[in-house]
Amino acid sequence: MKNVTGDLDKTGEALKKLLPAEDFLTFDFPAEGGIDFCILFADALTDKELLGEQVIAPLRAYRGKPLAEEVKSALTSPETKTEKSLEKLAEEVLIGNPVVLFSDMDMGIVVGTKKIPVRAIAEPPTDVTIKGPREGFIEDFKTNTSLIRRRLKTGELKIDTLSVGRRSSTTVAVCYLDGTAPKETVEQIKKKLGEIDIDIIPDSSYLTHFLASRPYSLVKQVGTTEKPDIFCAKLAEGRVGILADGSPIALTLPYLIIEDFQSSEDYFVPPYRATFTRLLRLFALVVAIYLPAFYVAAQLFKLQLFPVKLLLTIAGSIRDIPFSPSLEMLLVLLVLEVLNEASIRMPKYVGMALSVVGALVLGETAVSAGFVSTPAIIIIAFSGIGLYAVPNLIEQTSVLRLFMLLVAGSVGTYGIILATAFIILYLVTTENFGVPLVAPFSPMVGRDLRDSLIKYNLGSLDKRPRTLHSPNKRRLA
Amino acid sequence: MKKISTRQLLFFLACIMPVGKLVLLPARLADTSKNDLLFPLLVSYLVQAAAIFCALLVAKKGMTFYELLANTFGKIVAKILITLFAVFLLFAAFLPILEQKLFVQSVFYDTLPSFVAFAPFFLFAAYLLSKPLTSHGRVWDILAPLSVVGILGILILSLSSADFSALAPVGAAGWKGFFRGTMSATAWFFDAALLLPLLGTFRYEKGLAWKGTVCYLAGGAVVALFVAMFYGIFQEISPNQLFAFTATSKYFSGISMLGRIDYIFIFALGLVMSFYVTLPLKESIECVLEAYGRPRYLPTLLALAVTALFLALVVIFDYRFTEVLGFFTETVFWIIPIFSVAIPPLLLLLRRKRHAV
Repeated sequence: MKNVTGDLDKTGEALKKLLPAEDFLTFDFPAEGGIDFCILFADALTDKELLGEQVIAPLRAYRGKPLAEEVKSALTSPETKTEKSLEKLAEEVLIGNPVVLFSDMDMGIVVGTKKIPVRAIAEPPTDVTIKGPREGFIEDFKTNTSLIRRRLKTGELKIDTLSVGRRSSTTVAVCYLDGTAPKETVEQIKKKLGEIDIDIIPDSSYLTHFLASRPYSLVKQVGTTEKPDIFCAKLAEGRVGILADGSPIALTLPYLIIEDFQSSEDYFVPPYRATFTRLLRLFALVVAIYLPAFYVAAQLFKLQLFPVKLLLTIAGSIRDIPFSPSLEMLLVLLVLEVLNEASIRMPKYVGMALSVVGALVLGETAVSAGFVSTPAIIIIAFSGIGLYAVPNLIEQTSVLRLFMLLVAGSVGTYGIILATAFIILYLVTTENFGVPLVAPFSPMVGRDLRDSLIKYNLGSLDKRPRTLHSPNKRRLA
Repeated sequence: MKKISTRQLLFFLACIMPVGKLVLLPARLADTSKNDLLFPLLVSYLVQAAAIFCALLVAKKGMTFYELLANTFGKIVAKILITLFAVFLLFAAFLPILEQKLFVQSVFYDTLPSFVAFAPFFLFAAYLLSKPLTSHGRVWDILAPLSVVGILGILILSLSSADFSALAPVGAAGWKGFFRGTMSATAWFFDAALLLPLLGTFRYEKGLAWKGTVCYLAGGAVVALFVAMFYGIFQEISPNQLFAFTATSKYFSGISMLGRIDYIFIFALGLVMSFYVTLPLKESIECVLEAYGRPRYLPTLLALAVTALFLALVVIFDYRFTEVLGFFTETVFWIIPIFSVAIPPLLLLLRRKRHAV
């Protein structure tokens, strides 16, 4: 049987076969008018209070004919629809919407009274700001769309939903401003999402694999944000956003690497300050990646790189160290990574203790025991701090740092230069949805440089970024 | 990947091309022309600028180098000519690559004197050669500022040590010095030839020939300033300072306190050079692919073959740089001008053959 029949028992049985688990409940009751009703719902997902108020109470008092439209109009729920297919009805029950069946009618009524437990809106821990909005997305899709709608009160904002995941049937929404986001990009994204054939989508990060032009690459190709203000600003620039139910992380496309050097705060402080902090972030990233590598390369292959006095200090510190410079640095780096990993996973109060153990006990003891030198600890500490200046690139940066360290330890300074050349070449040849990853630097787009590493005054940012090919060019009248 | 933009081409002419002339050329010119080293440099630049002007005018025809040849001479002759040109590019690339190897070994390493230091370059070269030629355009966008920062940094750190009066009296080296210098310099001046395989990868815009030539000459002016400064610092011992741009800044007063901060700029220029010396190899491969087609694995195979060839050549001539330099600058110095100076104006004269492709 594929569709609902007028036989209430048979339909109920067929639906029970599709949903055999014990937490799918049925509630049978007769109406005052004599019609028998049966409501099928998921125990934990349905708001029973609403069900009682908006569905059961009016239906008990129903005296009309057994016609779907009449029954529907008797319900006080604003969200109802009729459906004939048993499979579709089962899907609705699975997402928390109860299904009302009644005798002598070959269709069911779906009522939108699902209840999803949600957490409160809070400031996202990955994107803390001092100035500017502090709201963050949460796991509930509807709350997230409401946060966006609140900021973009325009009919041009489109939120097209589709279901992804064979088993999870996760609601994925493609958000864009009609007439601002390029149509081809929107269509390509929808096509790619529609082609995903995967069991479940537990988080939006699963989607990035399918949206990247080089899915196995270390390089990030999809933008992420947890903040609705940033999300909306990106939509307004002509990007396309993606929300996945169950994930507080929204995706934005096309992604430019420069986005991760920008912070929402940059737009709420004077431009010279924003420029300075952006350059500072770049400097910190460069230091994080290259400092340990150059230290090792200089020690092993080119001592001239150190000033004489520093060289003497370093020579004094490393004299009794039993490891080679690269091994020493690698060990310290690994300890830092382990400490970092452990402190993130640990409860906060244990994390504090762990930091003390890591920083004081391990570091201090290791130096005094002569396992590692003080300069190595200082350099790794500096590099570790630099890493967090650009939090969205931590995964990539830490891998690159390790890679550079290995290169420096084996091939030295020229190895670092060649590895950098590799990275440059790889980055400039990577595009996603027709937009080069390192734009507006390569290909250079002069106008877009106004909001890149440097930040012009708001008045100068009168046009949308050319790189994104928005059909609506003007931003500021 | 889209075409190379005009801006990228101009960046290449103004900022990338000069870098190749800052390593051995100044010492070589100082050796041959003494304090008159600017004159052969000037002549070489002017001749190349004229050839570049012609090469950029050829771009007006909107055809690739191979199409131009095939339209005039037919496919078979064009294939022979383009193969010859590809071989020339490999030939021209040899000295810069060997120069780069020597530079890397001497400048980047105190304790690793062997070929091992330079071997990873070929990994990079193989990867770069497998990428489309137009991707170089995007690389130039990144390299141009690096090159400017590198050269400016070196100039700023070195200028205070230079005594420009060392360039006087003019003409001390005589005509012989001038000719020997000009002859030697040819090995580094094949810039116009590098533009020919790029034909068709960029669109000719109004005034490009003039803009390109001016940019090239602007880069040349910086090289001239550097060369003058180099001689102003080292004077009679200039010929012994093989790696010019790594040598001039080491007398900067802050170095004793800060360490070799000039290495930041040297690294930047080293990075630019790694791309620059690989370009002729890539262009050589492109010439062959253009003429003989692009079956699926051929580009990768050619990239690997060219890399392997140069790896072998570098191994063979590892300790014979002086002989190679002498061979290029004294024996076969005439080959490079044939391809880089004569061909661009000749291409301007080519007329489309009737019933040609």
